[in-house]
Amino acid sequence: MPIWGWPMTEILFFFEVVLAGLLAGTMYSLVALGFVLIYKASATFNFAQGAMVFFAVLSFVGFMELGLPFVLAFLVTILLMIAVGYATERLVIEPLTGQSEDTMLMATIGLAFVLQGLAQAVWGVEVRRLDLGIPDFPIPWLADNLGIFVSALDVTAGVVAGVLIIVLSLLFRFTKMGLGLRAVADDPGAAASIGIPLKNIMLLVWSTAGIVALVTGMMWGARAGVQFALVDLALKALPVLIIGGFSSIPGAIVGGLIIGVVEKTLEVYVGPYFGGGIEGWAPYVLAILFLLWRPEGLFGEKIIRRV
Amino acid sequence: MNATADNILTIDAIEVVYDNVIAALHDVSLVVPRGKIVALLGGNGAGKSTTLKSVSTMLGSERGKVTQGTITYDGTAVRDQTPSDMVGLGMVQVLEGRRCFGHLTVEENIIAGAFSRKLSKGDMHAELDRIYGYFKRLKDRRKSQAGYTSGGEQQMTAVARAMMAKPKMLLLDEPSMGLAPQLVAEIFNIVQELNQQEGVSILLAEQNTNVALRNADYGYIIESGHAVMEGNARDLLEDDKIKEFYLGISKEGRKNFRDVLRKESETHADLHHH
Ligand SMILES: Nc1ncnc2c1ncn2[C@@H]1O[C@H](COP(=O)(O)OP(=O)(O)O)[C@@H](O)[C@H]1O
Ligand SMILES: [Mg+2]
Repeated sequence: MPIWGWPMTEILFFFEVVLAGLLAGTMYSLVALGFVLIYKASATFNFAQGAMVFFAVLSFVGFMELGLPFVLAFLVTILLMIAVGYATERLVIEPLTGQSEDTMLMATIGLAFVLQGLAQAVWGVEVRRLDLGIPDFPIPWLADNLGIFVSALDVTAGVVAGVLIIVLSLLFRFTKMGLGLRAVADDPGAAASIGIPLKNIMLLVWSTAGIVALVTGMMWGARAGVQFALVDLALKALPVLIIGGFSSIPGAIVGGLIIGVVEKTLEVYVGPYFGGGIEGWAPYVLAILFLLWRPEGLFGEKIIRRV
Repeated sequence: MNATADNILTIDAIEVVYDNVIAALHDVSLVVPRGKIVALLGGNGAGKSTTLKSVSTMLGSERGKVTQGTITYDGTAVRDQTPSDMVGLGMVQVLEGRRCFGHLTVEENIIAGAFSRKLSKGDMHAELDRIYGYFKRLKDRRKSQAGYTSGGEQQMTAVARAMMAKPKMLLLDEPSMGLAPQLVAEIFNIVQELNQQEGVSILLAEQNTNVALRNADYGYIIESGHAVMEGNARDLLEDDKIKEFYLGISKEGRKNFRDVLRKESETHADLHHH
């Protein structure tokens, strides 16, 4: 049953490509969310987000190798990331409060090197395997019944990222700390003036970014191995942020999905003509086009009014 | 003012420096008697905001520092408290330029004002009702994104938000700025009500001398970081020098207020010139 001259198998294949793109995109959304949180709360582009991903998952694997069971290793790593967040807030962010955005950016670049170096010094430099017990093979049921081939690992990663994003969004919307965070994101000075403790909010933000980094690292690490390249992978968040807007949580989510889908469709349909590798640079081209068309990003919250 | 009166705030000869070099205040002293409204008047750059931020400790985040003198609020020496600490002690500043959280709704803004308090859901509703009782206009607008409301509504939201902290003392920084006269009147009516019914003491910084003095009990005038004059609001309102300078009646055009004072040889009975 062809539709518009397309045979059904082609349509299913296209659907499969889009689905794979969406699933990959949720991971980009998640990394971008880590950036947005910190950007909103402290107007800082956290260059260290990629290093945090690497640091978190390498530590997690390290704890597993030391013999900790999965759940315990996960919890210990979360505590570690909260400690890293606390130290970052106390030693880097707080002393620099009120400095220019450039200064803050430089500080996070420094932080990135410290985290990368620290992780490798403690856990070593070799690539580790992370087995989550989820195969990177097509889910048989989907393959047999619908003829759609998507990897179980992709689906798991997509669902985990999606759930984490939804949970975080609900927390921001409906809890007191979430309200505090949104207030600080809008106007830190005004938030301080009514007694919202900026330090606690910053701590919360950095801890959340740390947890997001761990989950991202685990999903990517399970696919590609726990290695230094995760740091660069996390920089894929940059085109996501340009498309979605640096300060918008929905923007991070939609931007990630767009990058995921565009990347996958180009890779499959256009890639062969370029000899492959197109997914490496296409998101950046898309981002540049977006910059020309809508510099504030798709959801970029225009500054409504700030005196 | 009567030194033995119960003063909720006493500022004694403070000097304030920004960035370790720029002196913004040289010698400012004032008191706010408990339950009263005191106006702090002066032109742009006179040091009104700096004075308020010294008291609320908001100076710190702007690299400003009180380098001389003392501030005593409700029996506590104000030294290295954080703004959160001050809110905990019952002192809240409404910053110049309203500073609403633009992406939050009006009601979320107001709720955020209670961040320092632990309120049950029921208590929160009661508190919101109490606040909407004063700010009736905001009740209709409570679901609107604050950034898209009018200037007057944003100013009301900022004051309502501060009141949710249940302050003993409010520091209001130019609430009339950029607003039409009837809105200014509406806001000052509410400020009066809050003062009388909630018993909140108010230090009010204004350039709008006329409106401020008509709503205050006492007034201070500062210029270039010096307190230059003080007196009962009614007396100041009728003072020729103030009329000449702030109401623009002088034929020679606007000039330095200290020049106006200098020209005056006799001292008004009720007014003290520093
Ligand atoms: N953050 C700051 N850094 C440096 N100088 C400042 C700062 N804020 C205010 N000033 C200076 O302090 C003086 C008093 O300013 P301000 O207190 O804002 O006056 P007003 O509120 O009466 O307009 C001005 O000369 C101003 O330039
Ligand atoms: Mg001012």
